[in-house]
Amino acid sequence: MKTLHVLSSSPFSDDRLSSCLRLLGSGDGLLLCGDATYATQPGNSHAEALAALQGVSLYALDEDVQARGLKPAAAIEQIDYPRFVALACAFAKVNTWL
Amino acid sequence: MKFAIALFSPPSAPSSRRALRFAEAALHGGHEIVRLFFYADGVHSASGNIVSPQDETDVARQWREFVTSNGLDGVVCIAAALRRGVLDEQEARRYERQAANLPAPWVLSGLGQLHEAAQLADRLICFGGD
Amino acid sequence: MSHSLLIISRQAPWAGPGAREALDIALAGGAFDLPVGMLFLDDGVLQLALGQAPQAVQQKDLTANLQALPMFGVESLYACAHSLALRGLHETALEVERLDGDGLRALIDRYDQVITL
Repeated sequence: MKTLHVLSSSPFSDDRLSSCLRLLGSGDGLLLCGDATYATQPGNSHAEALAALQGVSLYALDEDVQARGLKPAAAIEQIDYPRFVALACAFAKVNTWL
Repeated sequence: MKFAIALFSPPSAPSSRRALRFAEAALHGGHEIVRLFFYADGVHSASGNIVSPQDETDVARQWREFVTSNGLDGVVCIAAALRRGVLDEQEARRYERQAANLPAPWVLSGLGQLHEAAQLADRLICFGGD
Repeated sequence: MSHSLLIISRQAPWAGPGAREALDIALAGGAFDLPVGMLFLDDGVLQLALGQAPQAVQQKDLTANLQALPMFGVESLYACAHSLALRGLHETALEVERLDGDGLRALIDRYDQVITL
């Protein structure tokens, strides 16, 4: 069991996503919420970086994707809050990048 | 599962509302919340003095109602609260400040309560930032 | 058995109370005899810089409190080698184990819980 990393800030405004990508291990998960969902919009450099990840499960909070009119790639599972809770249980721990 | 939930952001931050939605989903999913611990700027999410415009979500009020109606343990870190001007009646009297703005059900206590909750819970989850 | 907790401190020392509040979590954990580790990452490594003079901005000396960590039983102290190198930090005010990507991944995997602030 591994770590679910959670990001919520825009990857264009700070370095949380790039630091997180350096720390992600095989079997880890990455959940994008809030403005971090901007990383999922196809065509930008962050979406490409996410697509290149191996062995990491990718998730985006559906309410944030909808609010921003984004169209994430199919490989990014869009989740609701019950699924968020289930993921928090399924992974050994949650690391939120405050 | 038993969850310890720590909040680090004020009610205007999307992460405060997100934490509340997560906490609600955890209870609906049959899980237990051992404690809510508000730290750093999260102490503002416990403020009783927020006046929300009528057409906006009143996250601080929703947190209060959530803790009260579910009989949860809602703890606010006293050191973080004092330095940010979030005081209950006792601290307002002690420090001779004009107003107490931390209502029930919130309780002021120390970081030991965060550590205890983390030890009792199966999962510690933090919310904060944006 | 106690859950172990890794605190990842990412903020520069004078960027508001964040660095202090991360440290307080670590010190409190140590005071309760809990297995706590601390990792300095990104701007958090700036807390380790030598020759700081916080009184110039009317701030308390964070370095002195960081040096108290081992006294509180928090001896597992780490820093991201990449973050240090990027910021030109070769020496540190505190003895920390420098870790690269693989080391950081292994570190996080070893702990039961993480708080990153």
